[in-house]
Amino acid sequence: MELQLGLALPSSPTKVFDLNYYGSEPKEEEISDTWYPSSYQDINQINNKKRSFGRALESGTADRAVPRTLPLLLWNNPPDEEDDSKDLENHSSFTVDENGGDGDGAVGWPPLNSWRHKRLCHDNDPTENGYACGARGPNSTYVKVQMEGVAIARKVDLSLHHSFQTLTETLLDMFGRWLLETGQKNSNEYKLAYQDNEGDWLLTRGVSWRTFIRSVQRLKLLKSSD
Amino acid sequence: MQRMGYSFPEDVLEHVFSFIQSDRDRNAISTVCKSWYEIERWSRRRVFIGNCYAISPRMVIRRFPDVRSVELKGKPHFADFNLVPDGWGGYVAPWITAMVAGYPWLEEIRLKRMVITDESLELISKSFKNFKVLVLSSCEGFSTKGLAAIAANCRNLRELDLQESEVEDLSGHWLSLFPENYTSLVSLNIACLGCEVSFSALERLVSTCPNLRTLRLNRTVPLDKLANLLRRAPQLVELGTGAFSFELTPDVFSNLSGAFTGCKELKSLSGFWDVVPGCLPAVYPICSRLTSLNLSYATIRSPDLIKLVSQCQNLQRLWVLDYIEDAGLDVLAASCKDLRELRVFPSDPFGPEPNVSLTEQGLVSVSEGCPKLQSVLYFCRQMCNGALVTIARNRPNMTTFRLCIIEPQTPDYLTLQPLDAGFGAIVQHCKDLRRLSLSGLLTDRVFEYIGTYAKNLEMLSVAFAGDSDIGLHHVLSGCQNLRKLEIRDCPFGDKALLANAAKLETMRSLWMSSCSVSYGACKLLGQKMLRLNVEVIDERGPPDSRPESSPVEKLYVCRTVAGPRCDMPDFVWRMGEDSALRLS
Repeated sequence: MELQLGLALPSSPTKVFDLNYYGSEPKEEEISDTWYPSSYQDINQINNKKRSFGRALESGTADRAVPRTLPLLLWNNPPDEEDDSKDLENHSSFTVDENGGDGDGAVGWPPLNSWRHKRLCHDNDPTENGYACGARGPNSTYVKVQMEGVAIARKVDLSLHHSFQTLTETLLDMFGRWLLETGQKNSNEYKLAYQDNEGDWLLTRGVSWRTFIRSVQRLKLLKSSD
Repeated sequence: MQRMGYSFPEDVLEHVFSFIQSDRDRNAISTVCKSWYEIERWSRRRVFIGNCYAISPRMVIRRFPDVRSVELKGKPHFADFNLVPDGWGGYVAPWITAMVAGYPWLEEIRLKRMVITDESLELISKSFKNFKVLVLSSCEGFSTKGLAAIAANCRNLRELDLQESEVEDLSGHWLSLFPENYTSLVSLNIACLGCEVSFSALERLVSTCPNLRTLRLNRTVPLDKLANLLRRAPQLVELGTGAFSFELTPDVFSNLSGAFTGCKELKSLSGFWDVVPGCLPAVYPICSRLTSLNLSYATIRSPDLIKLVSQCQNLQRLWVLDYIEDAGLDVLAASCKDLRELRVFPSDPFGPEPNVSLTEQGLVSVSEGCPKLQSVLYFCRQMCNGALVTIARNRPNMTTFRLCIIEPQTPDYLTLQPLDAGFGAIVQHCKDLRRLSLSGLLTDRVFEYIGTYAKNLEMLSVAFAGDSDIGLHHVLSGCQNLRKLEIRDCPFGDKALLANAAKLETMRSLWMSSCSVSYGACKLLGQKMLRLNVEVIDERGPPDSRPESSPVEKLYVCRTVAGPRCDMPDFVWRMGEDSALRLS
């Protein structure tokens, strides 16, 4: 059975439901289908009594305006020019840094869970990279931030900051919603603590930015009244 | 034939059903007829929910009113690698609340990649009178305070397993809260805890629990104290040591060695934190009994590893660092003919140069020498098609094959060609392959092979691979048993996704990050596929603020009958009928 990345006719439920149908006239790309599982059909028939794909298609066109501007559905570019479309605001590139190492790798690669990361960094020389390893991977400038009294932690990108002031402001912004609830917006009401690469919690007051950035593993915002 | 169903009284049918444990079989039974559906649902005792958002607690409890064991999974697998931002979800609290009301006789809770609070732990400890098993695998959100509640209130706890969870360590005192004459513990895994637990409490617990068979200690338990514990629990089957380094005087050494020898049932060893080679001979006496050995945190070198492994002739599972090197794997292949599972982890994954002599050759050796090898996880720095073909031919019984060539898009080091042919051979020869992770330089061709041959594949992980949507299309249209597909940094866009939209309803989940899927396509998918939960995760701000053609950061699609979830953070947008509105 040939599969066309094009029209899915509502009258033949055995065809694949193809959302590319909407709003465009795709170039018909014929891809020979290797197999169309019959169990697939059964699922469609058992579960889709009321909402068969064909009817969904029909009801879709009848009830609401078909999304008009879906330019990516127009397959005007032949496949080998598709690379050009990669330079959209896609901030994670497909071309990998050939130089490797040096903290330039992709997030979460190689795929080792945080447990192994921690163990590795503990055992390797912690000063090998520009910033110490540990609670954050060696290729990451993100550290976990917790605010006292708030269950959900966030992450902040330390490479964007060069002073405690901007960092604290950013953090307070991040937790803005909870601050509003408790009626505190003033940055003076909170102090910032961090956990260093030896596991100790320290206040940032009196610590130089340089010392801080080299050893920080995670952050905590504490209420000043403590 | 129709008559037969009615001729059995319900009790008889229920008794028959009690022999059927597998979920799939039970699901099949429940579709036979209405009365079988009813009998089955009242007699189902165990529920596994692979995605906690696929169904609501209320629906589960309504259908299965007398469940005793619940297993839930939350975050996508790629959360393990920091690809899912904190606060994404996976909160178990609503489930706990519902189960407290609906399943007062609940005995077992198993969670994976979920967020659980101390309050929930306390609620569990106080609400379920018969509570027996708590397994928290890769979970977070709780502290030792929650553990204290469990220890203090659960009268008949059999299993407490904190497998790789992130626990806020406030103090090790919680262990002392187990009552004085506690006898019920069978399994205790606290290996992930950072702080020191009360050793006397540990000793007491081990002494009073005669059925304790699994004990996984954390790093802070020193080696010289291990002997005390072992002597009190000679029935142990699985042990995770604490730190394995100590100035072992002859006395301490023989004491420890004797204690190990005394554990006649010991089959599984793990731990070995901070191991010093000189301490290893203490376990030599029991090596021949071992079936499972986890040395993946042991930074010892090849010669010491070889000495150890060569004595473990009955080994079935080995997890080890790449310090074992090709030479060590040769020895493994020669000595351990019963090996079923091998995992080799990288000791220095971020270094630019290889630090050990571990290549594709080690894996080839093991595939040749170990006829029962069926599960592989292998990190290395070079691979060639020839090796993969050899491995495939050697081991057609492979069911899990996860290869991670450390540098993305690394070609065959001999020919500089893509590794399509090699992985193609794997899927062609290994007809029972259920799980596959790809790496190295790969074109759309490899996906054509996968779609054509990998008919039993259930989970596929892809990174930095492929050329175009054709690749994704091959997988989605060809792999009929596919349940989980996770993709990162691949040039897959809208076409294949939209053309195979219906396929997504037959799968548990799809993850695509740093690909070329547009916001417009995500919206369309969410609007048309009402039984899918289509989520865009984007920390750059609302997708509306960018053009429709702009690719999203991350896309996570799950099938669901529960409708939209109401715990989404501000960097997650659900694509649906009113995707402009956010449900908060």
